[in-house]
Amino acid sequence: MDGANNLLFIIAITPFIGALLPGIMIRAGRATCATFAAAPTVLALAMLAVLTPDVMAGNVIQAEVNWLPQLGLSASFFLDGLGLLFAGMILGVGLLIIIYARYYLSPEDPMGQFYTYLLLFQGAMLGIVLSDNILLLLIFWELTSLSSFLLIGFWKHLPEGRQGARMALAVTGSGGLAMIGGMLILGNIVGSYNLTDILAAGDIIKASEWYLPALILILLGAFTKSAQFPFHFWLPHAMAAPTPVSAYLHSATMVKAGVFLMARMWPALAGTPEWFYIVATTGLITMVIGALIALFKDDLKALLAFSTVSHLGLLTMLLGFGTKLAAVVAVFHIINHLTFKATLFMTAGIIDHETHTRDIKALGGLRKLMPITFVIGTVAALSMAGIPLFNGFLSKEMMLEEASHTVWAGSHHAVPILATVGALLSVAYSFRFIVHVFFGPVRDDYPSKPHDPPVGMWLSPALLMVLVVVIGVLPAAIVGPLVAVAGEAVIGGGKMPYYSLKIWHGITPALYMSIIAIIGGLLLLAMHRPLDRLWNALPRPEAKAMFDALVAAMASLSRTITETLHTGAISRYLSIFVVATVALGLIAASGSSLPPVTREMLPVPGVVLIGWVVLITAIGSVFFMHRSRFRALVMIGVIGLMISSGFVYLSAPDLALTQISVETVTIMLLLLALHFLPKDTPIESSRALRIRDGVIALIGGVGVAAMTYAFLLRDVSTISDYHLANAKTGGGGTNVVNVILVDFRGYDTYGEIIVLGVAGLIIFAVMEALLNGPAARRLRNMDYSQDRSRDRHPLMMVIATRLLMPIAVLVGAYIFLRGHNQPGGGFVAGLIISIALLMQYMASGFAWAQARQKMEYHGMIGWGVVIAGLTGTAAWLFGAPFLTSTFGYFHFPPIEEFELASAMAFDLGVFLAVLGAVMLMLYSLSRIARFAGETVNVEPMDYDPTNRVELLKEDD
Amino acid sequence: MSADLNIILPEIILAVFAMLGLVGAVYTGKDKVASLLLWMTVAVMLAVALWIGMTREGGHLAFGGLFIDDAFSRYAKVVLLVSGAAVLLMSEGYMTRKGLLRFEYPMLVALASVGMMVMVSAGDLMTLYMGLELQSLALYVVASLRRDSLRSTEAGLKYFILGALSSGLLLYGASLVYGYAGTTQFGGIIQTAVHGEVSIGLLFGLVFLIAGLAFKVSAVPFHMWTPDVYEGSPTPVTAFFATAPKVAAMGLFARVMHDAFGQAVADWSQVIALLSVASMFLGAIAAIGQTNIKRLMAYSSIAHMGYAMIGLAAGTALGVQAMLIYMAVYVTMNVGTFAFILMMEKDGQPVTDIGALNLYAKREPAKAWALLFLLFSLAGVPPFLGFFAKLGVWIAAIDAGMVWLVVASAVASAIGAYYYLRIVYFMFFGEDRGDTLDVGKSTPVLWGLLMASAAVMILGIVNLFGIEGAANAAALSLVN
Repeated sequence: MDGANNLLFIIAITPFIGALLPGIMIRAGRATCATFAAAPTVLALAMLAVLTPDVMAGNVIQAEVNWLPQLGLSASFFLDGLGLLFAGMILGVGLLIIIYARYYLSPEDPMGQFYTYLLLFQGAMLGIVLSDNILLLLIFWELTSLSSFLLIGFWKHLPEGRQGARMALAVTGSGGLAMIGGMLILGNIVGSYNLTDILAAGDIIKASEWYLPALILILLGAFTKSAQFPFHFWLPHAMAAPTPVSAYLHSATMVKAGVFLMARMWPALAGTPEWFYIVATTGLITMVIGALIALFKDDLKALLAFSTVSHLGLLTMLLGFGTKLAAVVAVFHIINHLTFKATLFMTAGIIDHETHTRDIKALGGLRKLMPITFVIGTVAALSMAGIPLFNGFLSKEMMLEEASHTVWAGSHHAVPILATVGALLSVAYSFRFIVHVFFGPVRDDYPSKPHDPPVGMWLSPALLMVLVVVIGVLPAAIVGPLVAVAGEAVIGGGKMPYYSLKIWHGITPALYMSIIAIIGGLLLLAMHRPLDRLWNALPRPEAKAMFDALVAAMASLSRTITETLHTGAISRYLSIFVVATVALGLIAASGSSLPPVTREMLPVPGVVLIGWVVLITAIGSVFFMHRSRFRALVMIGVIGLMISSGFVYLSAPDLALTQISVETVTIMLLLLALHFLPKDTPIESSRALRIRDGVIALIGGVGVAAMTYAFLLRDVSTISDYHLANAKTGGGGTNVVNVILVDFRGYDTYGEIIVLGVAGLIIFAVMEALLNGPAARRLRNMDYSQDRSRDRHPLMMVIATRLLMPIAVLVGAYIFLRGHNQPGGGFVAGLIISIALLMQYMASGFAWAQARQKMEYHGMIGWGVVIAGLTGTAAWLFGAPFLTSTFGYFHFPPIEEFELASAMAFDLGVFLAVLGAVMLMLYSLSRIARFAGETVNVEPMDYDPTNRVELLKEDD
Repeated sequence: MSADLNIILPEIILAVFAMLGLVGAVYTGKDKVASLLLWMTVAVMLAVALWIGMTREGGHLAFGGLFIDDAFSRYAKVVLLVSGAAVLLMSEGYMTRKGLLRFEYPMLVALASVGMMVMVSAGDLMTLYMGLELQSLALYVVASLRRDSLRSTEAGLKYFILGALSSGLLLYGASLVYGYAGTTQFGGIIQTAVHGEVSIGLLFGLVFLIAGLAFKVSAVPFHMWTPDVYEGSPTPVTAFFATAPKVAAMGLFARVMHDAFGQAVADWSQVIALLSVASMFLGAIAAIGQTNIKRLMAYSSIAHMGYAMIGLAAGTALGVQAMLIYMAVYVTMNVGTFAFILMMEKDGQPVTDIGALNLYAKREPAKAWALLFLLFSLAGVPPFLGFFAKLGVWIAAIDAGMVWLVVASAVASAIGAYYYLRIVYFMFFGEDRGDTLDVGKSTPVLWGLLMASAAVMILGIVNLFGIEGAANAAALSLVN
């Protein structure tokens, strides 16, 4: 079997390799090009012929090559009866179309490109019917959408061609993507993506809870591809393609892919009520609607297109019945429809080619002018009408027979009646094709003088026509075995139902229905003219318009989304961000049950309550008076102090100390900075927007508060215990917070002082850049002399700060030294001394103080970082990791024993960096002030009483 | 100690190179040496990528578990370094012509890359944050590189504010995790965070971590910055945004979820699935109305992150593997597409309107076909590589029992295909309105990258260039 397997593989890839040839060979002329397009097809057909006997004997040929196995994907193919039928159709009709197109395409058309696309499509189609792996099948499935897109859009100069191509791709492509989902579910249910495994696992699939979603998704793919209602609208619009394409894609192959898929999946999916009601109903509706529209189409190809839609509906309905017999009938009708419809399309193409029109109303009387075409077209159309002796009759009879005993939702009549209506309409449009095109008087206003085309052009349809007749007369002998083996493949083994392929079945209900259909159809045609007027006058839903409306709706939805979400306003972005975060928090809170409460609520003493009320009032005031910036700043100061007192109350003196000094420094700096900023914040958003933002902020705040509340009521093992236990023994300090800062988390602190220093430097750098830019001009024009105090450097203040200075420095030193064991440390010390200096600067003006100050702030920051870094690296000398601290106790008389820790040197670095950064910020602010016209005072105070005394003396 | 330094040697080399380059350029020719510096950066990044990819093996921990060097991090690093280098290479011509090529640019990209490398190697919440911020800070600056453009600076500022907010959120999450797990190391957290026993504090920490990370991968609803930043930044910067940082963020996302919370998959997979669905749908629908190709690519990247997150939501090794493959494919597609966008010029000026692509195929068929390949691949249409990437994450999700996620994502991809196809439609069947692109505006670098990535889209389907082996090893090193 090895040879056969390889052969199957080669068949599958032949068209793809062959697709390269026409594009190259077009340089050697059109005939050569066509030959080279036909060659791979012939080759593949020949190989298929070699395999045929084996398949007809009931064997299944398989070939498998591993390809991305972890995705469940393998390049595996198999050939059974159904595959053989379709592969034969695809290659056989493909060959005929290649020959036909050789004569159909005009010299200006890029033929090489056309054949390349065509072979690409042929390969994709062949891939679908031969795939033994549903993922592989999906790939080929989408490949047909792509190559058909190229083929339909082949005539780029026609706007309908472009639109048709786009719509076809959008509809079938999307359907295919939906189908992927269904196929993946199917593969998951069965545990394998191999088609043979899936077909064998029908019972498991139908019992699965995922059966319905998988079914719907797969059917979406099949229905869009096979132009089933309500997706039928794309097919007629795709008819703008060259006729060979229409004949090949839209009658013989591509649109059958959906039907093929339903047939292929029949053993796995069919037989359930869901299947029956979805598939059979869709098929039935499509059959009737397609036929009805076809009757009133004046464009020859549109008529054929809708008739194709109708026949595809018929096939879908048959498969949807879910009975084995109906499935076999469907197989038979596939063959018949292929033969007569491809013939008709090529006939229509010949007429178009010769008369330069496809408008039925502009045609007529071609019987005499184009006798060969007339015979071919008439035979095929009669078959389509279901007239005895032609193959269409046979399968239609069997269809009606099946329909006559199908019960739909308790009704015995719905399906038979509608099926008869469909058949009746089918008769009507078939005869319309014959009568309105070929019969009637010869006209003298054809756009071009019609005559029969060259042999090459009518040869292909003629061959198919012969098949139509031969099958119609001798069905069992010609296609009997093929129907049997393909039918068997569809129903997935088991006992074949009884059927017989013959013309005369006796007097059956189907015969009555058939007779009604033929007579009714002819009557309908006789009344065509008034009906046509009525039809055109009636308003009817236009599927294409709906599709366009759907696209437009999507576009407007898209616009709405972008316009409401992405306005470019950061406030909106932030509000969405916060709401989303709160929502996530809610998900987290709802997803888990809270552990029981393990902590009692603490009692609330009066002092705390008062503090809390002050705090909340201050926060509320900021909210209401934030537009007046100075007042807001005062309130923020209050908040900071209340928080500091909170720390004191909760026994965290270290934090309280830090908080108070940080608070003082920042408020002072902010006050100075506010000097150069507007006094009020302008109103920029509407009241509604502010309320919205307020609500969002409130939700966020309540969320965080609720979370904190929940945390605090429950015991957790915290990390504090470790630090409490190890601060003294490991870091040599009893002040745990300081030990954490300079020892346990010394690295963090090291990083922080660098950040602080960098921040100071950046403020300085930005200010320098600012003063060289347009801002400097604004500052120079600033005029704020009116409301200034006459006594900006008051005597009392100057004196007091002078006195305070040494005390503050001493306190700073004290705080610094005690830091390791008592509340304090380098950070706080740095801030305290900063405050002392700040006071000097405020008292006597910056320039005055600056002149008496020798240290450079940049350097201070740098030295701070360097000292801290060196302390860290010193640990390396002793073979310990970076920033390992050590400590010892020393005793120098007369001082008592004291402790020196290496961490203190580190703290010194912290101290210097903090001091430098704060002072640098102050320096920057003063530079701005100078630009704004601030005068430099030479004296320490504005009003010096000693001068006054001197003056008085002189007066005396 | 030296063993530790040895492990982070690639990061050290790149960081030292960036710092030396920065200082060197300041004291020499400044912007005059920018071009040279850019080429050197490309060379160094590629060399480091090659080194990481070729010579390193096994899993190593450095600094007591702060830093992890394993197959997963190496995979992500190679992808992000190579894509970063490719984008840098692409930007040279454009930035020079627009007068934007400052010497800081390549250095910032290099520093961002260092940050990203640290991100994907993070074994600790501290390392995570350090890498993340290094990357973000560099990105904030490059986003507003075009200082004289209001749009660019505004984009940079918005990105910075939202980024700072997300960082704050992430930090809050991290401190909750630290408080309740007692450690910042992933290896320690995972022992505390066992499904069914995740304490409420840890759960909130996890959720806020997810929110912060979701911002970085621009997952809906934390995606708001993406369209504005993509549109406002200079195009090469947009290209950079769309590629390497996404890989790093997804890598970090996977790292945190699996390394730290791998025992509690059920607690996060639903949340990520939710973000993923929202991203896919918003990306697909909002892109339909876009006419600016840069904005369109922004929505496209949002949608693609949604697909990649499917792999993450699956919570399995297979899912991570699929996600990694997805990211590699995604990056390749984006490099190619942006190479094309950088060549879009009309009357010598860059254009971003997709209307300018009308009937482009007639004048430059080779480039139009290359873009067609890329767009079909982005849409996830078989048989292009993008489809296999999607297939991978879908199969992973199906295996994890998240069928609804796959169904939703199939629907989203059907919707999303529309706007990619619209560009193809314009190029091949559009109407000639006369306002079309200049012809022959390609440099060898851009043209080469466009063609190469288009070729990858079709040649890659043979065996995905074998990356699934690397991705598999990477996934197994992460999930166990």
